[in-house]
Amino acid sequence: MHALWQGLELMDFSFSQEQEMLRDSVARYLDKNYDFDARQALVSSAAPWSAEVWNQFAELGLLALPFSEDQGGLGGSIGDCVAFAQSFGKHLVVEPYVSSIMLAGAAIAASDNTANLDWIEKLASGEAVAGFAYEEGAGTAHPGLIKMVAEPSGDGFVLSGEKRLVLAGADADILVVAARMGAAGPVALFLVGKDADGLNVSAYTTIDGRSAANIRFDAVAVGADAMLLADASEALEQIIAKAIIVQGAEAVGAMDALLSLTAEYAMTRKQFGTPIGTFQSIAHRLADMKIAYSKALATLTYTAALANSGAITARDISVFKGQLGKMGLAIGESAIQIHGGLGLTDELNIGHYHKRLLAFDAQFGDHSYHLRKLGQR
Amino acid sequence: MNIDFSPELEAFRAEVATFFATAPTPAIREAGRKTTSVFAPFQECMEWHKTLFEKGWAAPHWPKEYGGTGWSVEQRFIFAEEYRKADLPPLLPQSLGMVGPLLIDLGTEEQKQRYLPTILNGDDFWAQGYSEPGSGSDLASLSCRAEPDGDDYIINGSKIWTTYAHHANRMFMLVRTSTEGKKQQGITFLLLDRVDYPGMEIRPIVGLDGFPEQCEVFFDNVRVPQSGRVGEENDGWSVAKHLLKHERGGGSAASPTLVRYLERAREAAAIIASPFGGVLADDPVFQRDIGELEADVASLAHFEKLAISGHSIARDPSFPSMNKTINSELVQRASVIMNQVSGVGGLARQLEALRVGSNVEPLGSEFDLISMPLYLNSRATTIYAGSNEVQRDLIARTMAGA
Repeated sequence: MHALWQGLELMDFSFSQEQEMLRDSVARYLDKNYDFDARQALVSSAAPWSAEVWNQFAELGLLALPFSEDQGGLGGSIGDCVAFAQSFGKHLVVEPYVSSIMLAGAAIAASDNTANLDWIEKLASGEAVAGFAYEEGAGTAHPGLIKMVAEPSGDGFVLSGEKRLVLAGADADILVVAARMGAAGPVALFLVGKDADGLNVSAYTTIDGRSAANIRFDAVAVGADAMLLADASEALEQIIAKAIIVQGAEAVGAMDALLSLTAEYAMTRKQFGTPIGTFQSIAHRLADMKIAYSKALATLTYTAALANSGAITARDISVFKGQLGKMGLAIGESAIQIHGGLGLTDELNIGHYHKRLLAFDAQFGDHSYHLRKLGQR
Repeated sequence: MNIDFSPELEAFRAEVATFFATAPTPAIREAGRKTTSVFAPFQECMEWHKTLFEKGWAAPHWPKEYGGTGWSVEQRFIFAEEYRKADLPPLLPQSLGMVGPLLIDLGTEEQKQRYLPTILNGDDFWAQGYSEPGSGSDLASLSCRAEPDGDDYIINGSKIWTTYAHHANRMFMLVRTSTEGKKQQGITFLLLDRVDYPGMEIRPIVGLDGFPEQCEVFFDNVRVPQSGRVGEENDGWSVAKHLLKHERGGGSAASPTLVRYLERAREAAAIIASPFGGVLADDPVFQRDIGELEADVASLAHFEKLAISGHSIARDPSFPSMNKTINSELVQRASVIMNQVSGVGGLARQLEALRVGSNVEPLGSEFDLISMPLYLNSRATTIYAGSNEVQRDLIARTMAGA
């Protein structure tokens, strides 16, 4: 160690032994059961995701991990999730982990209304899946943009409006819905059953292979118990920040895969009698990909540590989302360019990684939004 | 130096606009709006080709004696501008833009008489068989073999990235007829008068946008007549180089398409909410980004107008490479901003809604429907027709005093 650093307490950016064990067991399971062909077969099947994989995530403790022990969870940290989520990106997992557990589940867990807490047990065991009905279509970058309205009615509320890109929305047992109390009131969170009257669900598959739905709420009536939080803006920001970090870990996993696959291709694909990676234009592109990946990995690791320490700010999240979104797209576009025509085929995994990175960038404010927000101060 | 702004031109513009407002069928219009690639939906595109042929407007860039329009540069640009404004499907480039002009320049009289009329009227569609699995940027290394046998060649090998081969009834291709000397010297340019020869197999490749636009073509002892050869045996590379000038630009203008893309982005941004309040079109970052793109597109339009007018800029040996590089990178940048405008609206995979005649309503706007497939498809522009890395090498080489 350099003399300058002697006697200083160093920051710890390494995973704990337990985190490494969790990471390795998830990686082993996915390496064995979730190769690209199996993933593509799953995406083109009628199933929205694999029930078997979801059960295995429950077995591995992933579904219970982020919930507190007194709510029946394992009390895991954001660092624990980051440890294994990179494997999700490497394998382009389509199961609704972040939406059901990190977003909808975390919102139920944050509720000051104990009437709904039994859902946590069902989510954590894999028995039920929840959808997070938040996005309203124009890139709902912060809760202040929510337009959907909840009006008091009798003992309960009536929800009206439209949600888009509700992951697992057509198959979820329950929906967590963000809506504004009256036209100018605070944003509240509600729990709505999948069979509620007035739900109009349009299901589809996303470009990155996930099951999703646009859901119109035509005067959907819910009881008073359905309210999770009356003023949820702050809780939502915290919940979404954590979800962004875990999705960012997935994105870094995808970037890692793109980098190694592309470097390997450039060193084996020959044109003009030599591997294309020996041409300066390709070599420099590869170098830029590596630089971008290394910055993304550093920002992921540092930001996860900040979140673990409870010291994270909105500005840190904007740095994270802006940088990872931008660098992911740059890496994906370079990977396609270097693969040539092959990179544009549905058959090869390269373009599918890029689609996952496109989806990561578009959700919760794209890189342009977050970078401008940083500039505003 | 003079630019024609005469009233006659405005009358011409009105004539073109009226035709575009009345002639296309609803299916042709739908195909135009749902075009997310250089290559428009095939069936409607060819139907529109025939309509334009009947009007005498299928090939404005061809010499008049072969069926061109004899228009001035201004008229050709006005035609292209009105074409894009009306969101009509662009005609496919392989026949009218590549093999047609090539035959006019280098074909035998017999080849011209046999092939040009049905290229012009839209009865035929030609696929371009160039790239091979092992020969992309290094096209001259191609190995698909043609052995002379009597009056025929016997072809063995395969081609890849053969756009719309599954729709084609004819094909032009490069084959290896000799392995002696430099790799460029043993190549021959062949016209195949059909694509259903015994031993030929065409397999579509599904792209990232979900559509089978590209194909692989396999040749297993395929016997074709030698009369389809353009130029001399083993001199196909110079024929191909001649054709590349047409493929990489010079024939028709790309800037009106880009202008229209940016207009569509503006139209969508005028409705979509900005996270900073108001609509996206009011966002200064969006304004700056689209302003920069519009300026770059304007420069391309200037470049194209000079080139079509025969300015010396177009006689620069690196002109085709510069034109291809500028154009392809602008298409990508325009598609990026379109996709940014759509944001999460572009994340739904909507293949059925994109299919012409499906009558499936898109989940969001028609703009959101096309922006992502257009973005994904346009990743190809810096790869096909010679990757931009190769184009930059070619440009640099012309500067080295070669």
